[in-house]
Amino acid sequence: MKKFLTAVLMAGAFVIGAPAANAISEAEIKKDIEEFQSFFLKRFPGVTLAEYSDGVNALPQYAERRANWELLMEFPPYETEMDKAAEEWVKPFANGKTFDDCDLAAGNVYPVYDAATDDLRTLVGDINACLKANGEKPIKNVKVGKMARLIAHYRAQFNGQPMAVDYSQAGAQKWYEKGRQFYWAKRGQLNFSCANCHVQNAGNKIRGDVLSPGLGHTSGFPVYRTKWAVAGKPWGTIHRRYGGCNKQVRAKPFKAQGTEYKALELYEAVMNTGVPLKVPSQRQ
Amino acid sequence: MKRRVFLKGSFAAGTIAVAAAAGLLTPRRVLAASWPETAFDAKNETDAVKALFGDMPVVDSDAISIKAPLQAENGAVVPIKAWTSLSNAEAIAIVVEKNPAPWATSVEVMPGAGGLYSTRIKMGQTSPVTCYVKAGGKIHKAAHVVKVTVGGCGG
Amino acid sequence: MAATKMKIKKDKSGGHVVMVLVKHPMETGNRKDKKTGKKVPAHYVKTMVFTHNGAAVAQASLGPAVSKNPLTQILLTNSNSGDTVSVQWTDNQGETGGTEATIK
Repeated sequence: MKKFLTAVLMAGAFVIGAPAANAISEAEIKKDIEEFQSFFLKRFPGVTLAEYSDGVNALPQYAERRANWELLMEFPPYETEMDKAAEEWVKPFANGKTFDDCDLAAGNVYPVYDAATDDLRTLVGDINACLKANGEKPIKNVKVGKMARLIAHYRAQFNGQPMAVDYSQAGAQKWYEKGRQFYWAKRGQLNFSCANCHVQNAGNKIRGDVLSPGLGHTSGFPVYRTKWAVAGKPWGTIHRRYGGCNKQVRAKPFKAQGTEYKALELYEAVMNTGVPLKVPSQRQ
Repeated sequence: MKRRVFLKGSFAAGTIAVAAAAGLLTPRRVLAASWPETAFDAKNETDAVKALFGDMPVVDSDAISIKAPLQAENGAVVPIKAWTSLSNAEAIAIVVEKNPAPWATSVEVMPGAGGLYSTRIKMGQTSPVTCYVKAGGKIHKAAHVVKVTVGGCGG
Repeated sequence: MAATKMKIKKDKSGGHVVMVLVKHPMETGNRKDKKTGKKVPAHYVKTMVFTHNGAAVAQASLGPAVSKNPLTQILLTNSNSGDTVSVQWTDNQGETGGTEATIK
């Protein structure tokens, strides 16, 4: 199947059949996962699946980056924020309940397909749903700050667990296909797809930064970035990062928690099946 | 914002009382060490070193190790870890030659604390980062060049 | 608002490394507030005093060239389980903070 992947990368075109098609089987998804993961395992020999959670810091040719990261990780810059989130998590709502009473899925299985609504549940969405259900105001900015550190706190409890999104239902498979097409479609004035950077050019440099492998994405979010910290908003959910990446290729970013990014998140999470959770991530 | 209570010299509020209780007022040598205002004001490394250590001889030393990135991920947060095998270290200073104000930070250590100092500094551009250690009547130094690039992806 | 966090780790040398993270803006005084266009006044930690079982063992001097949310590490050479380590800091605007911990 490698030839096919290569052909796709060369063409940069939509993949597999009619673009409008939304039927993909569980077996085909399993194959996608295998191809995707083996591409990276071959590209970076010696890096184990688990190590991909560390992103660029896992790549042997960037030992320098890793050294910088390790110095910071001696006392992760996000620690005081995580302490704050731990307090916020158990602070009672007006009705006496706390986030512990929320109906949340395990941290390593999001996004979750909900047949009743034919929609995807993300952890961000579930947190706000919980707040509403308990008579509290939902969090407005879902990409940064309080929302990000709350989900970091919750997800961190599942650290070490392998990503295990359920794609057995037809509805989930439709969302997966939407996400897959988004990932491989070119966009923006620079005309890049996610795959152009994070598959084809994974590990290559781009304007002084390094393109992270697509394998390992989602297992570490939310991310605490030095660059964002300097600007005052250190935390970012994966949808914040999607928006930033889209802007970077001069494409209009989509709305956080909208259908495009939820579908993309599902696709990426499925491609990362088996990669252990390591939340939050400290990155530049 | 808290007022400058502790500067009023009163024992009634906060800091001095706490400091006294914690035994911070002894030994006198530590508190006698004031913040290095002149070193901070120095606009070049030579003046900063003079302000810190006067006319003490400065020698290169391989007894000082500096762990720092060769290339900083971000010039605003550059982790620097300096340590020395010199047994009688009294002070460690970190100076960044190309910063507009080269003196970044220092530590004075008493018996009970060793020759290790780790910090995170801001660097405006690629520059040598020099660690000065005052020990045995001399100033020992070692430097490490950190490259600082601006830009890169990551919206 | 400012939080001070201390971690103590045993060091190969036999002593203990004391790491202190202070949540502090460390403003240089040169940065312009994007909304008002005015310079944000200098606001940085100046002095950190470390004590070990009540005795001062180290005094760090920090300036605005130290990063936001400064992390400072020193090494205790004569430390044992059960010892108390504390840090007290003051900044250029007169604010103070500190914390203490017991070596495990």
